[in-house]
Amino acid sequence: MDLLASLVNMALLASAVRLTVPILLTALGAVYTERGGVFNIGLEGTMIMGTFFGAAVTHLVTQAFQGPEASAAAPAIAPVTGMLAAMVAGVLFSSIHAVMAVTFRVDQLISGVALNLLAVGLARFLNILFFGVATQSPGIRGFGPWSIPLLREVPALAPVATGISPMIPIALGLVVLGQWILLRTVFGLRLRAVGENPHAADTLGVNVVRLRYAGVLISGALAGLAGGYLSIEQGRGYLEGMTQGRGFIALAAMIFGNWWPLGALGASALFGYFDALSLRVVYTGVPYQFITVLPHLATILVLAGFVRRATPPAADGIPFTKEEG
Amino acid sequence: MSARVRLGLLQVFAPLIAILVGALVAAGIILALGQNPLEVYAIMVRFSLMRIDSLAAIWFKATPLLFSGLAVALSFRASVWNIGVEGQYYVGAFAAAWVGFSIGGLPAAVHLPLAVLAGAAAGALWAFVPIALKLRRGAHEVITTIMMNYIAGALVLYLLADVFRDPTQAGTPRVRTPLFHDSARMPLLGPLLQRLGLEIPEHSALNWFLVVGVVMCAGAAYVLARSRFGYEVRAVALNPGAAEAAGISLDRVRFVMFMTAGAVAGLVGLSDILGFFGYFDIDFPKGLGFAGISVALLARNHPLGIIPAAWLFGFLDRGAQGVQVFAGVPREVITILQAVIILAIVVAYELLTRYVRVQRKREAERASGGSPIAAVAEGG
Repeated sequence: MDLLASLVNMALLASAVRLTVPILLTALGAVYTERGGVFNIGLEGTMIMGTFFGAAVTHLVTQAFQGPEASAAAPAIAPVTGMLAAMVAGVLFSSIHAVMAVTFRVDQLISGVALNLLAVGLARFLNILFFGVATQSPGIRGFGPWSIPLLREVPALAPVATGISPMIPIALGLVVLGQWILLRTVFGLRLRAVGENPHAADTLGVNVVRLRYAGVLISGALAGLAGGYLSIEQGRGYLEGMTQGRGFIALAAMIFGNWWPLGALGASALFGYFDALSLRVVYTGVPYQFITVLPHLATILVLAGFVRRATPPAADGIPFTKEEG
Repeated sequence: MSARVRLGLLQVFAPLIAILVGALVAAGIILALGQNPLEVYAIMVRFSLMRIDSLAAIWFKATPLLFSGLAVALSFRASVWNIGVEGQYYVGAFAAAWVGFSIGGLPAAVHLPLAVLAGAAAGALWAFVPIALKLRRGAHEVITTIMMNYIAGALVLYLLADVFRDPTQAGTPRVRTPLFHDSARMPLLGPLLQRLGLEIPEHSALNWFLVVGVVMCAGAAYVLARSRFGYEVRAVALNPGAAEAAGISLDRVRFVMFMTAGAVAGLVGLSDILGFFGYFDIDFPKGLGFAGISVALLARNHPLGIIPAAWLFGFLDRGAQGVQVFAGVPREVITILQAVIILAIVVAYELLTRYVRVQRKREAERASGGSPIAAVAEGG
């Protein structure tokens, strides 16, 4: 009974919701890039860039506003700029992958791996440049806590409905938007066509290269935002290695979610739950080192299809060459 | 100049151009830091190439990269993407350490090989999970191997801190295993090199694992080029469909190459722990598995190319120490330089491959005096 109570309680669920967001945003980004036919394992590195730039810009803007005249002007300006900076950093960083994978048609896996290596070195270097130390930024303040109007009145739901980040409803909104874009818009249908059969799409006059660029860059924006959320809202500052492989876990969530935004939501919630569990002391007698790898174990089990089999877009990961139809 | 010679020259120039591009990008960063890149590079070259202790240090740093580069290259050659060398070498090194400190009274001729075998076996065991899940269940090995890396880190931490921590260190902040028995230590190369007239300093950690690594790279190159199995591997890489039609089992080739890669990965950390530290502690060198990916890419997955590629990364690493100490340039600049070299090299090789394809097409056209389709039709 104690074990059950420690596995299902409101505080744990609230923590699970918070930890779902970074995985969800990156998984959503992965849906866009892979629907367009580009495999992007560099999303982990893109997240790292987001964590650094999110925290750094939030810190700098906060300082700029700490002048004698303007203090309580707008406490949200710093985290908002930080989030936007994280997205821009994500777009710029993933544009390297777009150039490598779409224009130069190098092996997409290798390009992504190289980007992850680059991100680690770049984040360390920039942190030294900005803050004089290699591995962490000064502490920052995120958004003020926010609560859901009606639900917060219910005592049992209070831990979940109060003190939440505004990024949580934004992330959920982006999921619904993504589902609608992929199912109902011209852009979404073309993106999927390009990922399923680029040559057929090309014959119909669809610009394969441009759409694939769009898919990769959107994935960069979302992974960057996920990184910004981690450092601004979750960590209250940048810390080296704070992504903890969540970029890779997000790829697994996308696969488990069958390359759909709503599916990615369900899968990310599962991983978010394991992530929350790993941060809490659960009285099982298992050494804590093993509790911390619960999300990683869950990822392997999900990929091994012990939960469900999945079908990727037909041209996922295959470079597009016009001549060799 | 014949087409063959020209192609050979291009193969050599591609990595050189990539290194140049990396150096240019790093030069830009150094300029932005307000330093003169030429001076910084001069310091780097003087510090790492003009001092005998640096030359030894470069090869010592290159030693684990020979193993991790080879481990990555072997799996990539079979088109299975082992990103899990990092975790495989953690467990391999811990297994070797366990043999090193727990078994006493063996002669070195038995104990040391036993420790090495334990490392290889543990690395292979860690590789078994992702390759089995890939071949049986279709789980993407890139993500499962990365997850196995995290699990390996947690497992080793648990074994180190909670199970095998040296009891004599209790109450101190040091978290390490008991010391290894001398019979499990790898002898240093220094005495031999000194007899050959090289003034290697006494404290140099250069050890026989360097020789083991070079021999393994050469052996892998020989097996891949000359043996029946090597032929199968090359066939699978060139055209999996045709190879399967010819009776080659794709799954068998991939399984064997992946498991071999895991076994080689299990040896990555041994030069440091059996050749230098003499114990396994919490500050054990990390990241060597990921560096192996860079080394393999630079070597274009050729086992013999691993040797110069590992040396280059050893040189950059040593040079990074030099510029940090003597020029005040953060060593992370060199990490960025390494990543840019990798990005440039994959583009260079891709362009090279495309160039070769166009050349072949043209030759075929010239030979037949018409379109390539006509050439195939006439030839067939």
